[in-house]
Amino acid sequence: MNKIWLFGVMLLFLGCAEKKPLIPLEYNDWKRTINEVLKYPIPGHENNYRKIFINDTGTKVVREEKEGRTYDNYPDGTIIIKEIYDSSDYKDTDKPVNLTCMVKDPKNVNSRGGWVWIVKSPETGTETILTQAFCVTCHANANEPHPYGDKNLNNDFRDYVFFPYWGEE
Amino acid sequence: MGKKKKSKITPIALKINLIIFIVLMTGIGFGSFLFGYGYFLALQDKIQSNLLVQSDILYKAIEKYMLLGKANIAMEFFDDIGTISPEYTIKLFRTTGKKAFSDNSTIETVNKNLGTPFFEPKVLGAPDTETLQEKYLQGVMQRPPQDLANIEQIEDNTFFHMYKPLINLPKCTGCHGSDHTVRGIIAINNNITRDLQEQFLRILLIGGVIFLVLTAILLIIITQYLKRAVLVPVKAIGDVCSQVTAGIFSTRVNIKRNDEIGLLGQTVNSMAKGLHERFELSKFVSSKTIQSLTSEEKGKKVAMTILFSDIRGFTSYSAKRDAEEVVDSLNRILNIQTEIIHKNGGDVDKYVGDEIVSIFTDENSAVSACRAALDIQKEIEENSSLKYDNLHVGIGIHNGEVILGMIGSEKRADFTIIGDNVNVTSRLCDVAKPGQIIIHEAAYKRIKDTIKADGPYKLKVKGKEEGLHVYLISRNEGDGGAQ
Repeated sequence: MNKIWLFGVMLLFLGCAEKKPLIPLEYNDWKRTINEVLKYPIPGHENNYRKIFINDTGTKVVREEKEGRTYDNYPDGTIIIKEIYDSSDYKDTDKPVNLTCMVKDPKNVNSRGGWVWIVKSPETGTETILTQAFCVTCHANANEPHPYGDKNLNNDFRDYVFFPYWGEE
Repeated sequence: MGKKKKSKITPIALKINLIIFIVLMTGIGFGSFLFGYGYFLALQDKIQSNLLVQSDILYKAIEKYMLLGKANIAMEFFDDIGTISPEYTIKLFRTTGKKAFSDNSTIETVNKNLGTPFFEPKVLGAPDTETLQEKYLQGVMQRPPQDLANIEQIEDNTFFHMYKPLINLPKCTGCHGSDHTVRGIIAINNNITRDLQEQFLRILLIGGVIFLVLTAILLIIITQYLKRAVLVPVKAIGDVCSQVTAGIFSTRVNIKRNDEIGLLGQTVNSMAKGLHERFELSKFVSSKTIQSLTSEEKGKKVAMTILFSDIRGFTSYSAKRDAEEVVDSLNRILNIQTEIIHKNGGDVDKYVGDEIVSIFTDENSAVSACRAALDIQKEIEENSSLKYDNLHVGIGIHNGEVILGMIGSEKRADFTIIGDNVNVTSRLCDVAKPGQIIIHEAAYKRIKDTIKADGPYKLKVKGKEEGLHVYLISRNEGDGGAQ
């Protein structure tokens, strides 16, 4: 009888256990991939003000050359968070209205291009994994010349990241 | 008198087969329906997923055309697809819901973004007023934009609709600008009625054949099983019961199974055995006793004729012979007397040693008793030396009221007669000489018109202060015995 009780309590415990979030809300001490002001209009985010953070794992990006082309390879566990603000008029007291995130996890069934694409609400903490191709379709352009940042004129493989981490500036 | 209506028998096999058939039809039919319906839904999903893949391929093709600035080729491509099958159409709508390429506004915007009139405005034909329904437009234009797929039934046709946003990729922004995420909506419409109908008919055909074959196989298997497991044993049990009813007790049910049918067979066998034993036992018990068991009589006064028959000189006879010979001779004499008593409507109440106590209760009981007595004496006299070791019997007969009841203890009792008239009959038998039949005056009054008798004689018997008036009847002096 005691074993049944124990089993029941374990089930209750497991059922009530909070699911570990994929994206931490404490990321403000992470590195920024780019310090420029990002508020010019782009498809997907329009002209909303944006900040991009990368975790420590992501800063260890491996950059190598193969047959005349440079390949970026972010380690598994890399998290890149893009804060989206309400408008282009940013003030220091403003809070982001949305977080769009990339998590490097090629083994995840929901991954596309080796990344899991997630939208997180900073207000509620709700995380939504995007299973449609919307994000990756656009970010695939990062792996070829594009209109943003350094424009990737050398046609490097940027591992779906428009603004790569170049190290401490 | 109305003709008695003969009840119609419905064979149990027919009922069982009917039930099995209904159950199988219902069960397998329902299963087949679920199978068919599930297969139909899976088919719809498969068609849908195929079309989704097609839409992705088309999307990539359109994207390439657009990048090259060959939107007009994309339009021709759409039109060409329409000529392959009129039931398959691809259309491109703007985010306003208006049909793409219906005017030159996109070309003007692109030229403006490029800062040069790179694309020549096209010559417009008849205005194309077709628009995308608002519900589909809203379904696609969400944040983030969504693919939208649905199946719609329009009259007798089933349409699959696929709406896919044409994303304004970074590499497109040079021409189309960066201020919007979605450039347009690709609408793919496919009439899948024929596919569904063909598949539905195939499902019906396959399902129907499987259903019929399964039903037939199961029907045969279950029917055969029930026949062997239930019907044949039940018939065998019925046959045994019929034979027992006909008085054949030796037949047994030969079912060796550990189930309810086996148990029933064992019960029927036990019943037949029990009935056989009771039947054999009834030879040793008077019919009055048997009647009393069924009627649960305790005791009552009944007028009847009593016949006592006793073998004369049997004690000295038995002393000179071994037991086996004595029993054999006794049984032979008792047996023939019993047969004659039964033949004349009497009933043996009991055997007391070499004595038979019998009773006659019919309307002419005294006559019957006297005829039985005469037949007994005739049989024994005529065959005494041949069959009965020169033994003879003396018989006493009386008519009167006796007490009939279950006499004895709870563990052992006889349903027998007692009373003064019984004692008187016994005394008459005691004094009857070999071959003699002594009847009491009371009995004589009932036979005098039928059977001749000598008397009256006055007979003094033990227990009676006054002498009894008795008569003698015999074959030589009577009417020749039973007539």
